[in-house]
Amino acid sequence: MSANCNTTNLRGVKAKRLIKQIYVYVILAIVVAVLSMLKGDLFQRGNFLFPPNIANLLRMSAPILMISSAFTLIFITGNMDLSVGSILSLTTVVNAILLLNGFSFLAAMVIVLSLGVVLGFINGFLVMKLRITPVIATLITMNAYQGLARYLVPPGISSITNTDTLTMPEWMGNFSKGQVFLGLSWAFIVAIALLIGLVILQRRTVFGKYLVAAGGNRTAAELSGINVVKVVWGVYILLGAVSALAGVARASYLLIGEPYTGTGAETEAIIACLLGGTVFSGGEGSVVKSFVGALIIVCLTFGLKSVIPEYWQMLAKGAVLVFAVVLNHLLSKETAVA
Amino acid sequence: MSKQIEGKNLPLAGKISNESYLNRVMFLVLIALFGIASLTIGNYFSTATALNLIANNWYIVILGVGVTFLLVSGHLDMSVGGIVAMAGVLSAYFCQPANEGFSELGQGLGMPYGVAIGLTLVCCLVIGALNALFIAKMRVASIIVTLGTMSIARGVGQVAALGAQRSAGMPDIFGVIGNVPLFGPIKIAAAIAAILVIVALYIEKNTTFGRRTYLIGANREAARLSGIKVERHIALLYLLSSLLAGITGILLASEMKAGISTRGTGFEFSALVVTLLGGASIDGGVGSVLGMVIGAMILGVVSSAAYSMLLRPEWQFILKATVTFLAIIAQRYLLDRRSR
Repeated sequence: MSANCNTTNLRGVKAKRLIKQIYVYVILAIVVAVLSMLKGDLFQRGNFLFPPNIANLLRMSAPILMISSAFTLIFITGNMDLSVGSILSLTTVVNAILLLNGFSFLAAMVIVLSLGVVLGFINGFLVMKLRITPVIATLITMNAYQGLARYLVPPGISSITNTDTLTMPEWMGNFSKGQVFLGLSWAFIVAIALLIGLVILQRRTVFGKYLVAAGGNRTAAELSGINVVKVVWGVYILLGAVSALAGVARASYLLIGEPYTGTGAETEAIIACLLGGTVFSGGEGSVVKSFVGALIIVCLTFGLKSVIPEYWQMLAKGAVLVFAVVLNHLLSKETAVA
Repeated sequence: MSKQIEGKNLPLAGKISNESYLNRVMFLVLIALFGIASLTIGNYFSTATALNLIANNWYIVILGVGVTFLLVSGHLDMSVGGIVAMAGVLSAYFCQPANEGFSELGQGLGMPYGVAIGLTLVCCLVIGALNALFIAKMRVASIIVTLGTMSIARGVGQVAALGAQRSAGMPDIFGVIGNVPLFGPIKIAAAIAAILVIVALYIEKNTTFGRRTYLIGANREAARLSGIKVERHIALLYLLSSLLAGITGILLASEMKAGISTRGTGFEFSALVVTLLGGASIDGGVGSVLGMVIGAMILGVVSSAAYSMLLRPEWQFILKATVTFLAIIAQRYLLDRRSR
């Protein structure tokens, strides 16, 4: 009797584990399938699955893919960073200013990445050293960085763009718009490389284990000799640098320095991580699944934009976030019960 | 022996509470800031400035009441800004005349104003109920849920206003309630805010509801074990917060005689800032409505002084962030020193 009970229980656990493994891919497949049946204005040849259309979508969405993959790590440690969108805005503006003033691509990128490291360092300092609650600390920096981004754009104009004396270099769009391989851009290839790097970091290094330990039970992690402050601080710095990299890609795609381009990026990253099954209280998460979650959002945003009017976007985004929360809750609860 | 228990070994024996202490300090800071602004900016020291401070900050105070109670219980509400926008647009949409007007934006439902207000508040309560369901029942992190409901509320506003604003063909009564003059630039809305603050102060200090909020914030498990229905309590607080945000939205829409879907952007951060300025702890259990009002005045003085110094409006973002940061650090330092 009891043995029978155990096997059914085990089967149930296995089934739930399988559902947890594959559901994010299933959702992506459903979204793509539904979109491919619709006829949108923005789709080339009116078909979502037309390859150049997909390639264009992936070129466009490199920044959010990068941020979402790295955002998983901060979720795993049980922390939060609301400032990624503002870092994206700020670095986009700074990158545009540098390129406008004749810096080479690499020099500008190095400066912008260092800026990202500094911004992430500040976040980590507020959260880990001054011990301000992550949400409040990054809400503060979110506003500060956003204000700085807007302030760097001279009064009277809305974004950094060509002036009478200075023009953006011709090669500015090469990083995000140039088609290197199968219509994909360098930025997307970098996003994939970053994904692989983060997967290795998470699964094959001690640092990855430390992340899970810090998020699962901070006191236990500290007692077993892990320097949680340094680990989480490191993740904040990493996320700042990745957001800056996303800023380089965004500037290269827009060809201007738009100070509000990152608004809402933090919400998108949160949705991506939740869809990917990351546990928001920490301890569990997969970078690859967050990447797939980000693909779902990207497809939805682009797909909905071409089917329904722009002003539905906000409502749709909120609904998807709530849907992700419910899904996340149900799945994590079921495994807890099982 | 008994003297030891009553005497100096108790942390705050013979002293005022930490909240009153912070309130007094922040009040001195407010006076100091006002003094500095008066000395450095010509014409700043006048009754007109003082009246404008009240006339321009009442909405943050109303929102702050709900946010303070939630923060005291250890929860955040980022959806208030979205609800302000939604309430404004919906109240306009409900009472615009039906089957009239040249464009889709002039078409409404043609309800009487009272019904329109009631229905709008119900819609706001639905958003609050969503917050309550996810945060109190399912125990999802409040920041994630309220970010979602913020998008939903503002999204409903944008859809109802077709991404723009509803201002065509408004009945005259729509612009009345937000524009009743009281005294100089002060309108009836400021009086409503004042009444709400007094009611909130009473609830906070003199009712079990208020004191339970503090207990939940200080120690949720202890509160549950002592028989408080924690889930129901938090749900009520979210409903209250959304209701107050709805009232704010209706008043603001009436003042402009238009339902604008971009209204209230960043209000959620301002409401949080004034609450934190008023000495509320981010971790729950500490905070007061009176402190929040002082915080709102401080933010008002700082903003208007920055505006008078002709700083570019973009500085407002950085200013708010800096002020909040300084407030958190300073208050922690003060309390640390005090308990030593």
